Amino acid sequence: MKAWILRSFKKGIITTRFPKGKNEVASPWSTTPVYRDGNANPYCPTGAITNKKVDANLCISCGLCYPEFEPSMDVRGSISHLSVPALKKSIRLYSIDVGSCGACNLEVMAMVSPQYDMTRLGVSFTNTPRHADALLVSGVLTPGMMDPLRRAYEAMAEPKIVFAIGACAISGSLLGKSISDALKIDVIVPGCPPDPFTIVDAIQKSRGLR
Amino acid sequence: MKQSGVAHIIDGNSYYTLERFTDVPVILASEGLNGFKHENFSSTDTERLSVFPYGPSSGGMVESVYFDILTQGEKIEDVRYDTDFKNRSIKISGLSMNEGLLRMERMNGVHAASYSTLFCQICEKGMNLDVPEGVELLRVAMMEAERISSHLFVASRLTGGASQNIAHMNILLLREDLLRAIASVFGHRYFFGVNRIGGIGRPVNLKEFGKKVRLISDEYVEIFNTLMDSRIFIDRLDKSAIIKGEHSSGPALRGSGINRDGRNFHRYYEGLDFKATTSEGGDALARFIVRSGEIVESVGIIERAISRIGEIKTGSQGVREVEGTISGGFMETPSGDASMLLKIRADKIESIGFRSPSILNMEAFAESIPASTFADFLFGYESLGIWISEMGDLL
Repeated sequence: MKAWILRSFKKGIITTRFPKGKNEVASPWSTTPVYRDGNANPYCPTGAITNKKVDANLCISCGLCYPEFEPSMDVRGSISHLSVPALKKSIRLYSIDVGSCGACNLEVMAMVSPQYDMTRLGVSFTNTPRHADALLVSGVLTPGMMDPLRRAYEAMAEPKIVFAIGACAISGSLLGKSISDALKIDVIVPGCPPDPFTIVDAIQKSRGLR
Repeated sequence: MKQSGVAHIIDGNSYYTLERFTDVPVILASEGLNGFKHENFSSTDTERLSVFPYGPSSGGMVESVYFDILTQGEKIEDVRYDTDFKNRSIKISGLSMNEGLLRMERMNGVHAASYSTLFCQICEKGMNLDVPEGVELLRVAMMEAERISSHLFVASRLTGGASQNIAHMNILLLREDLLRAIASVFGHRYFFGVNRIGGIGRPVNLKEFGKKVRLISDEYVEIFNTLMDSRIFIDRLDKSAIIKGEHSSGPALRGSGINRDGRNFHRYYEGLDFKATTSEGGDALARFIVRSGEIVESVGIIERAISRIGEIKTGSQGVREVEGTISGGFMETPSGDASMLLKIRADKIESIGFRSPSILNMEAFAESIPASTFADFLFGYESLGIWISEMGDLL
């Protein structure tokens, strides 16, 4: 026990000041690429690039547009179509994987780690959609998960928010269908997978804190 | 094609299969190619017992998977599973090799370095491409960093499940530090877009990377030693989900005392002075000990690989058109050995055969659980590092 306590003191404070402060780091290619030089329409496997612009909803972070494009390093690229002030103090999340590669799941879970410490923002996970304010959906919509996704949504109380986490959930990317075939998306969190800072930023936007 | 216990391709009237830890396809009968399918319990099973359904979406699990747990009070009599709920049926055949690579990276994104390397290596072999040694060593460094990250994740799940909250948070902290270091060197926390067929996709700067992973590993060893002094933690894992024999993969295999690691047979690892970690017991504790040993071992491999990597030019080699060839390979991913067969014609993948380690480990888990208690379920499952995403069909 003593060893654990000493270890904690030695570490000091390592939690980010984000979103009040700036994010210390970013996963470069998880941020939306921006035009740098050369061909304005290089090959993009999802057709995300048109005339020097990248559609973040389609971008799968493959980097095939390099060197014409480079990462923007902007982690605030999420879009929230609503704002729910009732959840300003506390929001409970239920994460559901409808066909992901696993990376989005782990980036959602990374928010628990001490560098992000999501509980300081009043954000926590719940093990049942019945207690959830928001559904964090990752992956392409597979036929087998269509019904569990709908049932999870129906089990939630109002107000309820649907987050599409990552390119697969938003647009279907290369591998399938978007979750918009089953539910209306309220918050778009781009990236493949999104940087944990982007997910934190999106949660804050959804409750009117950004 | 549905995955079975052996990677295979059906080509006309022939079955091409790939034995474990080999890269030479052989023609074989369909023996051993039965898929693993969900079966329901029969009424005689459930006469005096209860069926506890768990999943497919449940708060305690990382991915979507369904279990029927046949139980008598706290004791588990049997378990059946269904991993098809999130099956994406990823289509690879008919695509160019470069398009196939993008999909392989996203089959199991958490082990993208291993799977993209496996795929590239088989394509390169099929086309007789000469890949610079520096690229191969860089791939080794990526895969070993991925192994450390993956093992730290499993360790965090086990410590979290055992309510060792301070250890849990310390391990999460280390894993996040590692992911950040990976992102700064490779441009992506999960190595997406780094591997290209015959080369690499973006410049990497490995300066200080070896030092950083060494610091992370040293800190992990301190945490591991402190955990090994905790009877509470050890008692949770000890004798949980005992797996014996060869029908498992990776740390599960080595945790049952079998000294078999695909890296020992893979040419990428030649001269990297690597020793496989084993443990006796076959339980969740043995697998945890193996993973912890592998974290330290992987740091040594990364350091030695980096010391031999010279300058690497960015870019892939042009894809060569081939007549129609079946090429195979294996890779020791963090969860265990994976095998893959590709039939390549012109510049396209004509068909694919694949066997993931999770296919073997899930079956081993289901066989290990009867006579366990509910408390063992979590530790048994998490200690295996099973990824449902890699158990789906590759078409």
